[in-house]
Amino acid sequence: MSGDAHHDHAHAEHHDHSKFYIKVWAALFVLFLISVFGTLTPWFFVTIIVGFGIALVKAYLVVRYFMHVDIEKPVVHYALIAGLALMVLFFAAVSPDVLNHEGSRWVNVAARAEMERREAAHAAGEGGHHEAAPAAGHEAPAAEAGH
Amino acid sequence: MSHPEHAHADHGHAAHGDHHHEMSFSEKYLFPTDHKYIAKQYMLTGMIMAVAAGFFAYAFRMQLAFPGMSVPFFGVVSPTEYNSLVTQHGSIMVFWVAMPVLIAAFGNFLIPLMIGADDMVFPRLNRLSYQLFLLSAILVVVGWFVPGGGFGGAWTSYPPLSAKAEYSLTPAGSSIWLAAVAVEFAAFLLGGINFVVTAMNARAPGMKWHDVPIVVWFICIASILFMASVGPLIAGAIMLLFDQQLGTHFFDPVAGGDPILWQHLFWFFGHPEVYVVLLPAIGICAEIIPVFARKKLFGYRAILYTGIATGVLSFFVWAHHQFVAGIDPRMANVFTITTVLISIPIAEMVFLYIATLYGGSIKFSVPMLWALSFIFCFLIGGVTGIFLGASGADIYLHDTYFVVAHFHYTFYPIAIIGTFAGVTHWFPKLFGRYMDEKLGQIHFWGTVLSFNLIFIPLFFTGLAGDHRRIYNYNNFAELGTPDLQWLRILATVALVIMLIFQVLFVYNFINSIFKGKLAPTNPWKATTLEWTTPSAQPGHGNWTPETMPSVYRGPYEYSAPGRDDDFHPQNVP
Repeated sequence: MSGDAHHDHAHAEHHDHSKFYIKVWAALFVLFLISVFGTLTPWFFVTIIVGFGIALVKAYLVVRYFMHVDIEKPVVHYALIAGLALMVLFFAAVSPDVLNHEGSRWVNVAARAEMERREAAHAAGEGGHHEAAPAAGHEAPAAEAGH
Repeated sequence: MSHPEHAHADHGHAAHGDHHHEMSFSEKYLFPTDHKYIAKQYMLTGMIMAVAAGFFAYAFRMQLAFPGMSVPFFGVVSPTEYNSLVTQHGSIMVFWVAMPVLIAAFGNFLIPLMIGADDMVFPRLNRLSYQLFLLSAILVVVGWFVPGGGFGGAWTSYPPLSAKAEYSLTPAGSSIWLAAVAVEFAAFLLGGINFVVTAMNARAPGMKWHDVPIVVWFICIASILFMASVGPLIAGAIMLLFDQQLGTHFFDPVAGGDPILWQHLFWFFGHPEVYVVLLPAIGICAEIIPVFARKKLFGYRAILYTGIATGVLSFFVWAHHQFVAGIDPRMANVFTITTVLISIPIAEMVFLYIATLYGGSIKFSVPMLWALSFIFCFLIGGVTGIFLGASGADIYLHDTYFVVAHFHYTFYPIAIIGTFAGVTHWFPKLFGRYMDEKLGQIHFWGTVLSFNLIFIPLFFTGLAGDHRRIYNYNNFAELGTPDLQWLRILATVALVIMLIFQVLFVYNFINSIFKGKLAPTNPWKATTLEWTTPSAQPGHGNWTPETMPSVYRGPYEYSAPGRDDDFHPQNVP
């Protein structure tokens, strides 16, 4: 009898677990839909928030619940935090060089020309911006030669 | 951390029933899972690669000393071959000599023995790690024989030179080299996980964190540094492979890509990598010095914490390799400060080693000579590094032979002197026999004196402005400095002498394996646990269930008061 009770208990617990994970999955699915349709809105800041913000929330849910970090030992948390910290460090130190197209004694001519060309294409084709992308590769050398 | 358990607890049934059964040839040498044999495999592979890399150094140094001559055993060195030789020498010495010998071989051999475990906690993962490493070594060797020859874009592999076949002139070699490096990293990730998990979970009963020998600590810290830093480089290597093979432009400035990004990705790994190989070597010295000074290691915790501090700081210094690459000058200031900061823990560590020697009863056996010469040579490397770490001085010194001399004064003590120190110290445990002491002394003096004769002249040619990536100085009116040629010749002759002395080591090593004097279990009267196992055990496992050690004290109890013999082993109550 007690064996049966134990079995039932375990079964119920298992059922609860599955329910919980299905809930997390449903939340991920809803977030996914928002991230797909959110990018179709015409407002720039909304697409940014949708693109990065929802991705962060989804990553958090997956890491915490599906990768079982919530029930892991502290050392796993430390390793994760150290990895994130190193990523922030790397990005912070590299961005002044790599995200800029000019510094006090240098200019990345090709990159700047490419950005200017894209901005011009974007401004010229408001609404029809899909055509701008394929032409990019062909015109870049010409812009380079212009400098 | 809860109380440590034995590694053998889980696989006890499988391993202990036949604890001392003789292993078959394939179990022992082809597909071993025993950490001792995997360690020997790593060591042997690393040594074979070192012979190749040493030969490459000989060939290109001969070209620099005697431009255009037909180098004996090689022939005339062409410009493309020169680039390949330099590249392969550098990358092999770092990735296929220092890494496998210092971390993988000594890590595999020492960690289970020193913490009182029968094996690594993941023996099959360990075997896979070596097999992947062997694959990477075979790949890099194959790269020498493909059309165009071995990769010639320097071990740092800077694009756009490395990204385009028409610049590097080694279309297939460069991609094979990248693949070999990537496979090798996978091998060391597996090994590193194994080291850390073993040290965390398989320590002998009673062995608390501060009873773990320094070398075990340092190999684990090095593994963590490697694991934390290698990600960006693997990502970068794949991007570079795409640039080479699929026509992408991640690092191609003509199409708006950014070559500086590669330098960041590479050095974010590359600088911690210096400490990845340094820490095991300096840890080996920490084991040797107390044994041959018969004195307790001075400041165990201080040494440990300086090691950890060095590891943490090593993540904040990488851009000092890029001061003249066009990085933001404000970042150059920051990285100058962090670079100079890292000399504090390292200097403290050196002082602690010297303090260990003070008042000791020093015996100049061969392992001790190597350990002391490590400190001497590494000190020169460290002090000259301060000039290069300061961005102002680096503007002049960058890419000169001063840099070459500096990093050889750090890397040679690490990869070569550290290895010789470790091999000569643990040889009785590795093979159950002594190495010949007299041959060892001759080899030591011949190697260390000629090493200094190679690189001291290069400090001076570098200060005089000798650029380091030149095939033939006579090709450039403004670089051809005939008055410095005698220094280049001196360095080359010293290199040849040093290489000849290595024949002595190879002879001593092989001869001693078979004919050396039989060594007892604890030949140096040392305190750590590896000296409690029978030397050169025949079967899998290190102790029988009855002799598994328990630990009662720290690892460096020499000149212990109140004892007849002057040492107090960790396992003796």
